[in-house]
Amino acid sequence: MRKGSVLAGGRRWLPVLVLGAACGAHAGPPSDALGWLQRAMEAARKASYSGTFVHTNGDRISTIRITHLNTNGDEHERIEALDGPTYEIVRRNDEMFCYYPDAKTVRLDRRVNARFFPSLFRAPAEVIAQSYDVKLGGLEHVLGYDCRWIVLEPHDGMRFPERLCSETGTGLVVRARTLGLQGQVIEQYTFADLKLGSHVPRGDVKSIFEARVKQWITDSQPREEAKGVDTGWSVDKLPAGFRKMTELRRTLPGRPHPVSQLIYSDGLASLSVFIEPNGAPKRTNESSSEDGTTTFFARPMGDELVTVLGEIPLATAEEVAASVGHRP
Amino acid sequence: MTQDISSLMDGELEGREADAALRACCGDEDRKRTWYLYHAIGAAMRGQAPATLDMPANVFEKLRAQPTVLAPRTRVRAATVTRVALAAAASVATVGVVGWLGSQGGNPEPVPVPIVASKTPEQSIQPVASTTTIVPAPAVSVQEYLVAHRQVPSPDLYRPVTNTAPAAVAR
Repeated sequence: MRKGSVLAGGRRWLPVLVLGAACGAHAGPPSDALGWLQRAMEAARKASYSGTFVHTNGDRISTIRITHLNTNGDEHERIEALDGPTYEIVRRNDEMFCYYPDAKTVRLDRRVNARFFPSLFRAPAEVIAQSYDVKLGGLEHVLGYDCRWIVLEPHDGMRFPERLCSETGTGLVVRARTLGLQGQVIEQYTFADLKLGSHVPRGDVKSIFEARVKQWITDSQPREEAKGVDTGWSVDKLPAGFRKMTELRRTLPGRPHPVSQLIYSDGLASLSVFIEPNGAPKRTNESSSEDGTTTFFARPMGDELVTVLGEIPLATAEEVAASVGHRP
Repeated sequence: MTQDISSLMDGELEGREADAALRACCGDEDRKRTWYLYHAIGAAMRGQAPATLDMPANVFEKLRAQPTVLAPRTRVRAATVTRVALAAAASVATVGVVGWLGSQGGNPEPVPVPIVASKTPEQSIQPVASTTTIVPAPAVSVQEYLVAHRQVPSPDLYRPVTNTAPAAVAR
């Protein structure tokens, strides 16, 4: 984080999150919806839990095992894909180690935008409440736990409605749904089994591949890139509530030139703006796609190609893409 | 037969089927060309020039003649750009491996690689029979952007550090 830089705006949220966590521990169910939201946010980091959840986004389904432990204020987490090719992410606070046994590669990265259920939040409850109406919904019984729905209705059509079922004892979100603009579920995270508040052995959040990585390739480039730079680009007319989290320059496989990436979030939804040279072949048409919550919109802009990708409606992506320009 | 090659590249075949397809895929010149051609198409769809592929000379002629098949899969539904990109991702690893082997085995000449998507849209976009609308390929590879945005790894896509290094040396 660079003080006084262009990055400062978005990152100012972070200390607030930490402060909020310090005074909200195990105080029983809050009385209002905002309190529930804040507690859900803290529980994702402070609680110890292990389980398996199913993530459905559009047509894509994945099953992931998660083990989460908080010791001395440090988050330790291990995430393992249970279907498809094997990968494992071991996270200590924002430091991420991504293990790909098939490729014998361990990738070091720093968490900027990673949306690891049940930790879906990127700003304190008050910031989220600037873009969403936060209300309490009904009680539900999930996997032997009672949970209360937190209903987030967006103030405008620039983001999707969100539903979070927060376990009544700890506040942990055990089920999360994102609704499309017609009210249908377009993305869902739900635990299929969950052990909550039980003692999670320290060994369970250690990498199962760690002992083997001596022969592996270490790719620390993502972590370097995550430090952020001044890309020289900006979005002039951001939809209300979105703020810049960071901006970076990335080298991506298959692309000869580095790509600028600007990340924005309203605390719940986030979007990335990618700017790359509009090289050969030069694209002349706009293109877009929507799948689950993942929306993509690409727009040629002279010698550059602007791509907006995020968990946002297409209208938001179009609006953002239309106002990308050089920072004055 | 070409369907088998396609399925093999997409990792859809297992066990005996895969063995059979592997044996058959390079059994004669025609099939060998198809194998190279499909990999070149897969790479080009990602905007990644398979420069290290040691391809038979006439592959590129065939490549020019071949329309871009946007959805060569049977389960074509509302084919969005994202889904096309996701489907294509399965063959990415294979391209990397073939490229790497190629660069080990001989002295690959730097081959000028025509990018499939550089054709004019009228020639290059030929939707497969489907009742739904197919979005024209924008030649923007979304998969890497999806991974970069979510920071959650796609099993199909890791930074191919293993593959780029030897290729660079071979040149």
